[in-house]
Amino acid sequence: MEWKIAELKELEDKIWRCTACGTCKVAYDYGPPPTFGEICPAGAEFGFEGFMASKGKIAFARGILSGELPWDEEFLEAIYKCTVCAGCQNQCELDHKPYIPEIIEAMRRRAVADGVGPMPLHKNLLQSMKNYNNPYQGPRRVRTDWTRPFKKAGKPIKDLNKEAAPVFFFVGCTGAFNTAARAVPTATASIFQKLGMDFGILGENEICCGSTAMRVGDSEEFKRVATKNLETFKWLHDERGVKTIISSCAGCYRAIKKDYSLSSEYDKVMEGIEVIHTADYLNRLYKEGKLKFEGELHWKVTYHDPCHTGRHLNKFIIDEEGKQLWKGAYVDVDQSECLYEQPRDLLKAIPGVELVEMKRNRANSFCCGGGGGVMTGFGEWAAKNASLRIQEGADVGAERIVSICPFCHFNLNEGAKRIGSQVKVHDLTELIDQVLVGKSDNQT
Amino acid sequence: MSELSSLQKEHATTITDAGKVDSVLRELRKIVGESNCTASKHIRYAYSYDLSFVKPKLPDYVVMTETVEQVQELLRFANKEKIPIVPYTAGTNIGGLTIPERGGILLDLKKMNNIVAIDPESHVAVIEPGVSHAKLADALYKHKLRFGWPVGPPSASVLACAVSHGIGGLSAKYGLNSQEITSMEVVLPTGELIRVGSCAIRHDAWHSCLPLPQLDGLFKGWLGSSGVVTKIGISVHPIPPLLKVFTVSTENVADMYSYMLNLSNYEMCDDLTAVSWWLTQVPIPYPFKAKPDDSPEWFCFATTTSWTEKEREAKTEIWETVFEEEQKKGTSIKQTVYPEEALRGRTQLPSQVVGSTKNYCKQGGAGISWPGTFTPAKVWGPVYNKWKDILVAHNLSPAVRMTMYRGVHYGMFRAMIPFNKQSAEETENARHAIVECLKVDLDAGGIPYKPPVDFANEINKRADPGYLDLLRRMKKFLDPNDIMNPGKLGI
Ligand SMILES: Cc1cc2nc3c(=O)[nH]c(=O)nc-3n(C[C@H](O)[C@H](O)[C@H](O)COP(=O)(O)OP(=O)(O)OC[C@H]3O[C@@H](n4cnc5c(N)ncnc54)[C@H](O)[C@@H]3O)c2cc1C
Ligand code: SF4
Ligand code: SF4
Repeated sequence: MEWKIAELKELEDKIWRCTACGTCKVAYDYGPPPTFGEICPAGAEFGFEGFMASKGKIAFARGILSGELPWDEEFLEAIYKCTVCAGCQNQCELDHKPYIPEIIEAMRRRAVADGVGPMPLHKNLLQSMKNYNNPYQGPRRVRTDWTRPFKKAGKPIKDLNKEAAPVFFFVGCTGAFNTAARAVPTATASIFQKLGMDFGILGENEICCGSTAMRVGDSEEFKRVATKNLETFKWLHDERGVKTIISSCAGCYRAIKKDYSLSSEYDKVMEGIEVIHTADYLNRLYKEGKLKFEGELHWKVTYHDPCHTGRHLNKFIIDEEGKQLWKGAYVDVDQSECLYEQPRDLLKAIPGVELVEMKRNRANSFCCGGGGGVMTGFGEWAAKNASLRIQEGADVGAERIVSICPFCHFNLNEGAKRIGSQVKVHDLTELIDQVLVGKSDNQT
Repeated sequence: MSELSSLQKEHATTITDAGKVDSVLRELRKIVGESNCTASKHIRYAYSYDLSFVKPKLPDYVVMTETVEQVQELLRFANKEKIPIVPYTAGTNIGGLTIPERGGILLDLKKMNNIVAIDPESHVAVIEPGVSHAKLADALYKHKLRFGWPVGPPSASVLACAVSHGIGGLSAKYGLNSQEITSMEVVLPTGELIRVGSCAIRHDAWHSCLPLPQLDGLFKGWLGSSGVVTKIGISVHPIPPLLKVFTVSTENVADMYSYMLNLSNYEMCDDLTAVSWWLTQVPIPYPFKAKPDDSPEWFCFATTTSWTEKEREAKTEIWETVFEEEQKKGTSIKQTVYPEEALRGRTQLPSQVVGSTKNYCKQGGAGISWPGTFTPAKVWGPVYNKWKDILVAHNLSPAVRMTMYRGVHYGMFRAMIPFNKQSAEETENARHAIVECLKVDLDAGGIPYKPPVDFANEINKRADPGYLDLLRRMKKFLDPNDIMNPGKLGI
């Protein structure tokens, strides 16, 4: 399997499209009314221009390429003090726009290739991936711990290693190993069971999607797990009849949809398989009238758009041939795959829930602070940033903040704890699970 | 971008002497704290270049202050040690003005970003240097107030633009943004905190620089070389509900000038701007592309706002009279549909799209500079024709803008020149063309604004010796050790 993962040098022409105008530093919309907000977690925390949005990252990239910025400890750290949230990317209008997260990650790949990166704590994570196929140093058998209550209740989850099912629930490492985020797979599976879906998991044989490895610049480790996963997907399709892969994790979803598409075999392997996020899947069912809610949740909630189910799913229209503008010109952005409305529609559908918006939302959502390896590499800063987001929710009167990513879930929780906030953090699936009427309940 | 100037290299070797760096950094840490100062190369590097053709140069330190007291302490220290200080807010001035000529401390003021007050009754706002156009626009709109937003990045500083004689979208009505400054608080290069304007007489009165002697002039147009401005009061204005933009085209610059002169006499526009065909293109063609024969060469948008329908009708009537008069003169004037995206970019300000340089640089790549001038309107025509020759000869688009200021028949006259900064050759080509254009304009009575050192030298060559002498004496008086943005004034 060939992988088309760009080296920094290959992106040099793109890097030279940036004018250093600094528009990427703030989320601003003319409106009217005009709205303004900080968009770069790194800039907000560290302040200096190098940390600030894509303007600063491009400066670093130029310095690496020209040889003017040799590696040292502080510089390396600066490259990793970025959540790769793509908030900056959303503001830019020039030809390198589509490649901004790519440029940031290519610098990290360069650091890894030069033997200096990633950060020491990332190295532990990568070692864990090599040893355990997950970044949490979790033994294989722990991966299924979350399924115990289902077994106990006499509703075991189908094991795709042994049986066939059309739907594969890709649980993801965070939901499986991070106890604080286990509510996510639990609620997801509970919903699926209530809906009477024929779905299964790979259990101990599931391996990491590779997102974190890719984010911190270890493309070799990413390729290793991604290749294995793609092979597994093919096997699941051919041998187990899987037609749909569902994920409740924004990171896994983004990796499978976007990072895996860098493989030469992607289209072939994924033929006949749809990859879908749980929020999108449930929203489809809701639109078809297949979700029935009972009871009310009298909660004032706000919704936090994870970067990976939001602007990371932008599809950029690029004039590859030079037919419309010129060769390589960025033409437009297609946001149709970004999951902005689906989770909101579901929240609004839950009886009793009042949805309020934070100032920075959808494409201009402020990152929770956990992405891009920051939660592992700089946990304290990640939590501090999450507390800013929690406060933003509190400022609009929200009692609960809902999201669709176990990573955001964990980090936002840390942020709430850090400032002693009363705002509670939930995954969307938890809310749905509370009010969803199951098939059997329906019949009674 | 890859090479530093030889001067800078020399400087870098002296200042990076470990002992010196450590002792300076130790002092800086005492003043602003460890996380607000650095000598790390990668951070300094990110401040070493801007959009323009000006050669990159590294500062030796970068410092972020959070309080006025810190600015004072910093300046006292720098003055004692004779270390250059370059004030910086976002570095988007398009003239290399924050690229340090002689190293030293780059003073990033972005953390001083409080909107100290908005007085919706008196129409005055008080702001710190780090307040961006985006932030102020958001805050003012809540009071249905506005300011003269430039077509620059929303993240850039309102204060830096105003003290640099910046130009916004209300220039036909209220003049330059520096004319909107009503009071100032400044830290002098020697560290004293001073105030000019009404706030000097009563600390919370920020309404006017007049009728006092205009000492505010000591800190406007000095390119950060006379002190660090820590607060300004600015006039802000109510937003009338009705907008009407009159758009015309002409075949040539003379006809456009005739129309603008006529219309500006009525002093009814917020903004009266004409742009050449190349500047209506999104983006400006790079390299030069010939204009289609059937397209007019000049387009004008006259932005008006009104409180009532009747006022709007009256303005429309005046405009129609002007238009008919111009037609009767036999000029090539026509009503036209201004290209929509370009018009939006000029009337919906601040604009993230234009601010991100899309309209200007998207095709050129990374670089933009301008011969940006204040030029008497009556020479716009001849200067434009010469500029066009120079620019086309350099394979660059003559993307020229002419804007009437406050009905006084002079205004902004500038060409936006994108270029491919990846190529040293193309950058030099643009620089050469721009400096040539500038000489033509200076010889016709124009004066460049926010001038890079190349331009400052050209100004000074032509300046009255008495003016230059006074400038030097004032600079020496305010900044005895020449620490503030040294070298930028070319004196
Ligand atoms: C695409 C584009 C379009 C633009 N259009 C316009 C336009 O229409 N009108 C216009 O006026 N400008 C325009 N500009 C230029 C620029 O964006 C504005 O002037 C901007 O407001 C400058 O702010 P800044 O924060 O980038 O200032 P900087 O570049 O950081 O500083 C500008 C100057 O002010 C000095 N300075 C900064 N802070 C202080 C302080 N506190 N005390 C003393 N001196 C200080 C600096 O030393 C420097 O000399 C444009 C720029 C771009 C990129
Ligand atoms: S990345 Fe885009 S928005 Fe940011 S400085 Fe560069 S050109 Fe401007
Ligand atoms: S990706 Fe996010 S954290 Fe990184 S520079 Fe851009 S806005 Fe900042």
